[in-house]
Amino acid sequence: MSEINVDLLVIGGGPGGYTAAIRASQLGLEVALAEKAELGGVCLNWGCIPTKSLLHTADVYREIAAADHLGLELGKPKFNLKKVVKRSRDVAAQLSGGIAHLMKKNKITVLNGEAVFQDKNTVTVGGDTVVADNVIIATGASARNLPHIQTDGDRVWDARSAMTPTFMPKKLLIIGAGAIGVEFASFYATMGAKVTLVEVMEQILPAEDTEIAALAKAAFEQQGIEVLTGTAVDSVEKSGKGLKASVAGETRAFDAAILSVGVAGNVDDLGLETVGVNVDRGFVTVDSKQQTSVPGIYAIGDVAGVPCLAHKASHEGVIAVESIAGLAPHPLNPARIPGCTYSHPQVASIGLKERDAGDREIRVGRFPLLANGKAVAISDTDGLVKTIFDAQSGELLGAHMIGPGVTEMIQGFAVAIGLETTEQELMETIFPHPTLSEAMHESVLSAYGRTINF
Amino acid sequence: MPREIYLVKVGMSMTEGMVSEWYIPDGGAVKKGELVYALETEKVNLDVDAEADGIVKHIAEVGVNLKPGDVVGHIFEAGEEIPDDFGGAPAAAAPVEEKQAAPAPVATPAAAPAAVSSQAEDGHIKSSPAARRLARELGIDFRSVAGSGPGGRVVEADILAASEGGASVAAASGPEPKASPLAKRLAAERGIDLRTVRGTGPGGRIVQADLDSAGAGAAAPAARPAAASVAGPKPGERIPVKGMRKTIASRMHHSLMESAQLTMDMEVLMDDAVKMRTSLVEEWAPEGIKPTYTDLVIKAVAKALRTHPLMNSQFMGDEIVLMDEVHVGMAVALPEGLVVPVVRDADLLSVKELARESSRLAAAARDGTLGLDDYAGGTFTVTALGMYGVDSFTPIINEPQSGIMGVNRIYDGLEWDGDTPVRAKKMNLSLTWDHRTLDGAPAADFLVEVKKLLESPFRLLV
Repeated sequence: MSEINVDLLVIGGGPGGYTAAIRASQLGLEVALAEKAELGGVCLNWGCIPTKSLLHTADVYREIAAADHLGLELGKPKFNLKKVVKRSRDVAAQLSGGIAHLMKKNKITVLNGEAVFQDKNTVTVGGDTVVADNVIIATGASARNLPHIQTDGDRVWDARSAMTPTFMPKKLLIIGAGAIGVEFASFYATMGAKVTLVEVMEQILPAEDTEIAALAKAAFEQQGIEVLTGTAVDSVEKSGKGLKASVAGETRAFDAAILSVGVAGNVDDLGLETVGVNVDRGFVTVDSKQQTSVPGIYAIGDVAGVPCLAHKASHEGVIAVESIAGLAPHPLNPARIPGCTYSHPQVASIGLKERDAGDREIRVGRFPLLANGKAVAISDTDGLVKTIFDAQSGELLGAHMIGPGVTEMIQGFAVAIGLETTEQELMETIFPHPTLSEAMHESVLSAYGRTINF
Repeated sequence: MPREIYLVKVGMSMTEGMVSEWYIPDGGAVKKGELVYALETEKVNLDVDAEADGIVKHIAEVGVNLKPGDVVGHIFEAGEEIPDDFGGAPAAAAPVEEKQAAPAPVATPAAAPAAVSSQAEDGHIKSSPAARRLARELGIDFRSVAGSGPGGRVVEADILAASEGGASVAAASGPEPKASPLAKRLAAERGIDLRTVRGTGPGGRIVQADLDSAGAGAAAPAARPAAASVAGPKPGERIPVKGMRKTIASRMHHSLMESAQLTMDMEVLMDDAVKMRTSLVEEWAPEGIKPTYTDLVIKAVAKALRTHPLMNSQFMGDEIVLMDEVHVGMAVALPEGLVVPVVRDADLLSVKELARESSRLAAAARDGTLGLDDYAGGTFTVTALGMYGVDSFTPIINEPQSGIMGVNRIYDGLEWDGDTPVRAKKMNLSLTWDHRTLDGAPAADFLVEVKKLLESPFRLLV
C-alpha cells in the first residue's frame, strides 16, 4: 500500500496509453501508468501484431504453394500450427517486453492492477493510491458479443481464441466482415479452411469504399471463400464436436465460428460514474483536446470512440498530453486517419469516399495494378488505386487502394493529404520505377485524364 | 461645345443640394479627374471631379440650393471661345436658411469621389482570362502586375514578364510565408496576400482553414490584399497627389489640424466572444452569413453609443450636436485607398442583420458598386487592422464625427486563475476621441462599456 503523487496517471498501457506516457515524460511530467494485463494492450498482445505474424505465415505459405509458377520446385508445403501460433505469441511477448523497457527508460512508474476512480484526482490501482493532477483513460475496447451468439472459447471464438487455434477447422464460419473478420478469413482460407464469411451489411469492409470492397469480395471468392453479404446468422449451436449454424434460414455445419462484430469501449468498473465522466453508447465522450466532461480527465483511443485503430489512439494520446502541458496541439482530423486491412489482397484507405462526396464536385482517378509493371513482375496484379480530388481546388481528398503492398503505400497519400497537396504536386512528384507505388502516380494522372500506362 | 457640369445626384433620396465650394476658380483650368466642386446635401458632403480637360466656367453660386441634374457650370475645351456673358445663376430651389448653411452633420467618406467617377473603372483590375490562368499557375497575384494591354489590362505577357523579371511583383516582396500547396493555390485564386494571413498549421504554416478565416474572419477587408501589395509604387517614382489620394490626404490632415484628438487603448478578454462567434458562424453557415469580429465590435460600439450620446456627436464650433441615429462607418481597405461605407442604424440591427449588411457593404466596396447612400451619414467609425497583426494604433477621426474605434489583433494572452497563469484570448481596442467634445473620463467610460459588451457578448444578441 502506498500513495503516489504524479502529474499524470495513464490508465491502460496500449498503444494510446504508453505513447501518451512517453510523450508526457518527454515534456517533463511525472507519469504513472496503470495496466491490468500486459503492456502493449490488445494491439500488441491480442490484435494488430500477433495477427500480422499469422498473416505473414499465410502470405509465405501462399507464395510457396505457387512457387511452381515462379520456376521453383519445392514440393507441397506443410505447416505446423503449434509453431505458427507460438511464433505469433513470441512476437507479441518480445514487443511487450520492449514496452516495459521504454517505460523504464522514460522513468514512468508502471502499476499493475485495475484502476478505479475514487475522485477526480484520486485513483486506486490494485493496492496503491495514485493522486494525479490529470488522468488519461486509455482502457481500450473489447470484442462485442451478439445477444443470441456468445463466444465460448471452445468452438465459438473471439479474436483472442481465433489467433491461438489448437486445430485447423475444416469448415469455418466468420460472423462480421470488418477488418478483423476479413483478416481471419484470409488467414484461415490460405491455411486450408473452407471459410464462410457473413456480413449483415450490403458490403464487406463496410468502412471502405464501395468499389474497393466489391473488388475485395471478388478476390476472396476467387480464393474459395464463400462471402455472404446482407446476411444475418440467426443462431450458432453446439452439435457433437462441431457447430450448427442457421445462416439466412439454412442450417449448416461448421467446425468453428469466429465472432467479429465490432468492439465496445471498456468503460465499466472504472468508477467513471463516481467522478461524472460522460459515456455515450459505450464510449467516453471527449472534446477536441480529448478532454472528457470532467476537466483534468482525458480519454483517448478505442474507449474514446471509433475508429478503433492503434495509430488513432497514439495520436490522440499525444494531443491529450500536449493539451495538459499547455501546448496547443491540433485536434485530430478524422479525414486524415488511414485504415489498413492486411488480408490478401490488402486494403488501405484514407479520407473521403466517393459515396460520401454528396454535392461536392470531385474528380476520381483509377489505376488498376494490371497495368503496373512491378505488379506483373511479382505476379500479383489484383488491385486498384483510386484517388479523389476536389474538382474546384484540386485538393487531394481521399485515396483507396487494394492490392499487394498497399498498406505500406498509403502513408504517401497520408503525407500528401496532411500537407494539403493538390494534384499538381503529386503529378510533379517523381515516383521510382519499377514500383507498385507508380500506380499511385498514375491514379492521380488518371483523375485529370493524363494517365500514361493505361 | 462646352461640356456641362451637373449637380450630381447622390442616392435615391436626394432632392436638393448645393455647390458648397468651387475647387477650380471661375475661368480656371482643370484636368479630367481633378476635383472641380464640393457638393453638399442634407445627407452627404462629396467632392465631384471633372469629366474632361478644359476651362471651368461657374454658373451656380456657392450656397444656393439646386435640384440634382441642374447645370452648375461648364468645361470649355482649350481654345474654345467662351462668351463674355456666358452663364448666370439659375433660380435657387429655395432660399438658403441659416441653419442649412452649417455643414451638414454627416461625414464625407474619403472615397466619395471615386464612387462618382472612377471607382467603377478602377475598382477591379482588368485582366485577360489567360493572364489570370497563367498567374494562377505561376502563383502570381495578377493584381500586383502592371497591365500593358488595352486600357491597362493585364495580359499574359505581363504575367510572364513579372515572373521572369519580377519587377512589378517585387514591389510586394517580403519573405514568402510557409503555406500548403492548396493554401497557395486558393490564395492566388481569391486574391489573398499570404503575408496578411496568420498560419495555424504545423509550425505556423498557412493551411486552407486559415484562408477561410481570413476571407471572412477578423474583418471583411482581410480578404483583400493590402494596398502595399498592389502594383504601382516603385522606388524613384513620383505619384501625383490627386483624386482619392488627394481627398484622403486633405481630410486626414484637416482632421488632425482642427480637432483635439487623442487615443487610448484598452484590453478586452475575447474568450467568450471567440466562442460565440464560432458558434454563430456554424449556426448561420447554411444561410451564408459569417459574422466577423469587426461585426461584433460594430454592434458593441453601436449599443454603447446609445448610452453615451456624447460619443455619437459632432463638434460644430459653438455647439455640440448630439446625433439622433447611430450609423457606424466601417473602414474598408481597397488597393486604391480607404473607403468607409456606413452600417445604418447599427444599434437597431440584430448581429445577424448587421453581419449580412456589413458583408454586403464590404463586397460592394470591393466590387466598386457602393451606392452613395451607402457612404452617407456615419456618426462614428470602426476601423480594423487586426488582420495585419496590429496591437495598437491611433486611428484618425472621420470628421465631423467625435470618435473612431480601432480594432486590433486577437492574440493568446495570459490571465491569472489564482496563482496560475492561463491562456486567454485578448484584443486591444484603440479609441480615438475628440477632446473638444468630451473629456477622458467619459470617453474611457464609453470604452469600458464596449469592453464589457464584448466580454459578455450575449448582451449583443439581446
